[in-house]
Amino acid sequence: MEPLYEYAWLIPVFPLLGATLVGLGLIAFNQQVNRLRQLNAVFILSTIGGSLVMAIALLWSQLQGHEAFLRSIEWASAGDFHLSMGYTIDHLSALMMVIVTTVAFLVMIYTDGYMSHDESYVRFYTYLSLFSSSMLGLVVSPNLVQIYIFWELVGMCSYLLIGFWYDRRPAADACQKAFVTNRVGDFGLLLGMLALYWCTGSFEFDIMGSRLTDLVESGALSAGFATLFAVLVFLGPVAKSAQFPLHVWLPDAMEGPTPISALIHAATMVAAGVFLIARMFPVFEDLPGVMNIIAWTGALTAFMGATIAITQNDIKKGLAYSTISQLGYMVMAMGVGAYGAGLFHLMTHAYFKAMLFLGSGSVIHGMEEVVGHTPVLAQDMRLMGGLRKYMPITSTTFLIGTLAICGIPPFAGFWSKDEILAQSFEANPALWFVGWLTAGITAFYMFRMYFSTFEGEFRGTDATIREQLLAAAEVPTTEVPAFGPGAMDPHELEHGHGDHHHSSEPHESPLTMTFPLMALAVPSVLIGLVGTPFNNIFEEFVHAPGEVVEAAEHGFDWAEFLIMGGSSVGIGLIGISLAILMYLQRKIDPGMIVEKIKTLYNFSLNKWYFDDLYDTAFVQGSRRLARQVMEVDFRIVDGAVNFTGFATLLSGESLKYFENGRAQFYALIVFGAVLGFVVVSGLTG
Amino acid sequence: MAFPWLTTTILLPVAAALLLPIIPDKGGKTVRWYSLTVGLVNFAILIYAFYTQYDFSQPGLQLVESYTWIDQLDLKWSVGVDGLSMPLVLLTGFITTLATLAAWPVTLKPKLFYFLLLCMYGGQIAVFAVQDMLLFFLVWELELIPVYLLLSIWGGKRRLYAATKFILYTAGGSLFILLASLTMAFYGDTVTFDMAALAAKPYGQTLQLFLYAGFFIAYAVKLPIFPLHTWLPDAHGEATAPVHMLLAGILLKMGGYALIRMNAGMLPDAHAVFAPVLVILGIVNIVYAALTSFAQRNLKRKIAYSSISHMGFVLIGIASFTDLGMSGAVLQMVSHGLIGASLFFLVGATYDRTHTLMLDEMGGVGQRMPRIFSMFTVCSLASLALPGMSGFVAELTIFLGFSTSDAYSLDFKVFVVILAAVGVILTPIYLLSMLREIFYGPENQELTSHEKLVDAEPREVFIIACLMLPILGIGLYPKSLTEIYDATTHSLTSRLRASVPTLVAQKEQSKSDALTAATAAIAPKLPTLTR
Repeated sequence: MEPLYEYAWLIPVFPLLGATLVGLGLIAFNQQVNRLRQLNAVFILSTIGGSLVMAIALLWSQLQGHEAFLRSIEWASAGDFHLSMGYTIDHLSALMMVIVTTVAFLVMIYTDGYMSHDESYVRFYTYLSLFSSSMLGLVVSPNLVQIYIFWELVGMCSYLLIGFWYDRRPAADACQKAFVTNRVGDFGLLLGMLALYWCTGSFEFDIMGSRLTDLVESGALSAGFATLFAVLVFLGPVAKSAQFPLHVWLPDAMEGPTPISALIHAATMVAAGVFLIARMFPVFEDLPGVMNIIAWTGALTAFMGATIAITQNDIKKGLAYSTISQLGYMVMAMGVGAYGAGLFHLMTHAYFKAMLFLGSGSVIHGMEEVVGHTPVLAQDMRLMGGLRKYMPITSTTFLIGTLAICGIPPFAGFWSKDEILAQSFEANPALWFVGWLTAGITAFYMFRMYFSTFEGEFRGTDATIREQLLAAAEVPTTEVPAFGPGAMDPHELEHGHGDHHHSSEPHESPLTMTFPLMALAVPSVLIGLVGTPFNNIFEEFVHAPGEVVEAAEHGFDWAEFLIMGGSSVGIGLIGISLAILMYLQRKIDPGMIVEKIKTLYNFSLNKWYFDDLYDTAFVQGSRRLARQVMEVDFRIVDGAVNFTGFATLLSGESLKYFENGRAQFYALIVFGAVLGFVVVSGLTG
Repeated sequence: MAFPWLTTTILLPVAAALLLPIIPDKGGKTVRWYSLTVGLVNFAILIYAFYTQYDFSQPGLQLVESYTWIDQLDLKWSVGVDGLSMPLVLLTGFITTLATLAAWPVTLKPKLFYFLLLCMYGGQIAVFAVQDMLLFFLVWELELIPVYLLLSIWGGKRRLYAATKFILYTAGGSLFILLASLTMAFYGDTVTFDMAALAAKPYGQTLQLFLYAGFFIAYAVKLPIFPLHTWLPDAHGEATAPVHMLLAGILLKMGGYALIRMNAGMLPDAHAVFAPVLVILGIVNIVYAALTSFAQRNLKRKIAYSSISHMGFVLIGIASFTDLGMSGAVLQMVSHGLIGASLFFLVGATYDRTHTLMLDEMGGVGQRMPRIFSMFTVCSLASLALPGMSGFVAELTIFLGFSTSDAYSLDFKVFVVILAAVGVILTPIYLLSMLREIFYGPENQELTSHEKLVDAEPREVFIIACLMLPILGIGLYPKSLTEIYDATTHSLTSRLRASVPTLVAQKEQSKSDALTAATAAIAPKLPTLTR
């Protein structure tokens, strides 16, 4: 078994190698490499495949009880300071590697179908591979600095992939927004990291944790400061995992191609925040203030995400808010100390949400045949409906995902969400109530999405709705033509606009796209069974460092399970029934309800007005401040120094008449000044 | 006596430059190959000399040469390098050679252009290598002339204004160097210009402060430090790409180098007093310049302000009184030399195609120039301190060095670190919005209608690849660079720390603590011994 651990560093290196080789090829021999589309894809798939095999082998070995493995080299040093980098293989990292590699592998297969018409097919694979490498590097990091490094790198990959279709203005804005918002979080993470290093002298998680606890206990550091430092670190996950109030980038990030929405913005990168909280658990767990902040941030985010998701019409935006909401659950779980439950939900969510996103991509792919490559039309649920007929595989898998996220047993989401709710009830019933209510809203909006997309009549050919949507979309974007270069092939429009999207009905996507859907459906149904409360293998395997697994001993309480599980299933069913009444049977008219609660509706539709608020406060504010500073620089600073120079020149000019030449004059000044210095120093020194 | 490696590398380019006028040339083709060869040969000599002669573990000067020049003045031609100057000398060789390659399209008076480039080559190495104060002043001044000419002949529309401003600012600053160094030379019993001897003279506290202030003004102009920075955006706004590379890559580093060598190295007592000022100015540089850069609509000025912002970190590192901080300051200089040169080169390359520097007149050019787009993206990411590249390591070490520094109170450190970290947020804002405005979005029809936007040629890709190699190398494994100068910065820092009163007091304290602890540890054992 040892060689496997010795060479475990290859897991992140394989995809890096793939990305580097293909990337260099793209730079050096652009046209030739671009022509070998599927060859490159197969190459990159095989590198991630290699990582996948190794990751599974490592997980197996860890399940067999192999002890944790750590290897590091000295990376930077100055004087007495030493910083090492390396990799660690323990239960958590082995699990995360398997999640990342499986989802990445399936998403890469899917990409072949989804991006088949895109000119930049090879570039997309390169970025995907680079991302996988960074993400794998993140999960094996043994210390906080290394996590920070890869944290930034996955952020960069996310930036590149959101801005993948760089000729589309919304994509350009979204990628910048994502990067900058994440930098705000990283600002906190960096400060927290520095502060923790200052007081503990280490970047290792458990050493930081134990030393910080000692410092607080001995009174050398006030608990307030310790809490502040930890909250600063938590800002990192707040941005990366799209928690309130830094969640604003994630919905916009949907401007990127759908495969990356599934991989980065649902399954892996956004979960990195939860992963970091898990790694930082030794530091956080003894600071009740931080744990409370984490828990309430998560609960608020879960609720907010769900309430916004209700009114979204863009299928991807709806799923994005649902992701925010589900991430809120995970963070809340971490905050109440439900370490295992939070990571369990991370795993189940990674599979079913990746599947939902890929499903939405498949829907968009099908819709584009009918409405053309216009995201405004192709992603809008008001134009969908009845797709189950045309896309049986997509609709079935989407239904499975919907059931899973709604927490219907025995699908995966039920077990993990129930675990979180049960543990938060123990910690604080108020948190449980928020989570429970959110579960109901989740069921409602997910089935609203499912029904509007797959049931009823197909509305894609309805010209009036189309025109309405286009008109609505044109209002905010004044200079961009609504028929901007489309989702699938930006250059298709240049030759033959509208030639081939006159098909009147959508078709099921090719096998490369449906296969990953079917493959992901399996864990979406079954993976929850490893964490059932009566036989919780998952939590035995993944538990907080230092925590003794007591779940196994303290027996299983059927009554408690039935009450907790029953109540969450109950509210889920209420949500589903409501969705059926409103969107399947149309017994209740949604429009009527909207009229009744116009303010609330608008509040949700406008995403709680966060974007507007941030735009006024930060975007416009910083621009104004920058312009003022520039004015000051130009008029006052430059002006003053120029004026001084001018004045000196003038005085030099006037003095010239008293002297027989400038050179002597300067020499005299120099001499006088030197003399002055010497005299002054002689007197004082 | 050993072979005079440093003198050779200083004089070779200058001598080669003197031969330029007699080289037969048509259309500048021979001249550029000639200059490039000279640059490469000189760079190769540098590498060979350092590889065979330089010992990383020694903190002091190496490859020392000293010849008496003017005996009466005790003026000596003395050169040598230590860990502080050696990386910068290498950087000079590297960047200047690449700048020669970047100057390929220059058609106006090529002979004069390459003549000046080669003169600068030798002059810049000399600035980092000379160990004699008067000589330092001379080469520092001589260095200005080629830059002035390069700006005023090959610059943009307002080149004369920019060149004059440049010469006035820097020459005005140099006056203070002369004043301070003459004072130092004539102080005390002996007249000497040797830097080591000058550093050993026992100046009074007040005089030290005056001297420090004098040097500081001169180097503040060069680095540049707020409020003496305004020449830089003008000079950058008008310069051509190769001159940009030299300005950003090397000339700014001369200020930082001299600040460490003279202000910190020779006047440590004054440094202890001035250090908080340096830190504050460093923050002002970081935040102020970043905001100005964000508001700039002119591409070259934007990057120029980003240079100023990045130089702020150097100041904080110098004033941190920790090994880490000092090491980070040197690292940041080298790193910014590489990143700044690459960014400015790309700005030049973009300008060659769009013929405008105003961001409003660009937009969507990424579609026709994907290679320039990707290179620009990579270099911008390097500049905003993305991990895996050198800028990140430099900024991280400076942050770590300053926040663990024991020379400052906690409140001050918190204040400084938070404000400096604001720069970490601002940098991506202005760099990424710059990228967005140039490359992203739909094509700007007005621009594409009258400009042929051709993608990067292999020469340009090659230059960026050369610059990226060390940027990535240092970013992935920083020890490769820090090892070179660690011994020097360590000895320098310990000397600096010895002149901070609070630190000395702390050390005494901890010594006595250790003593009592030691006796306490021994004490319980005593009974067992007697028993």
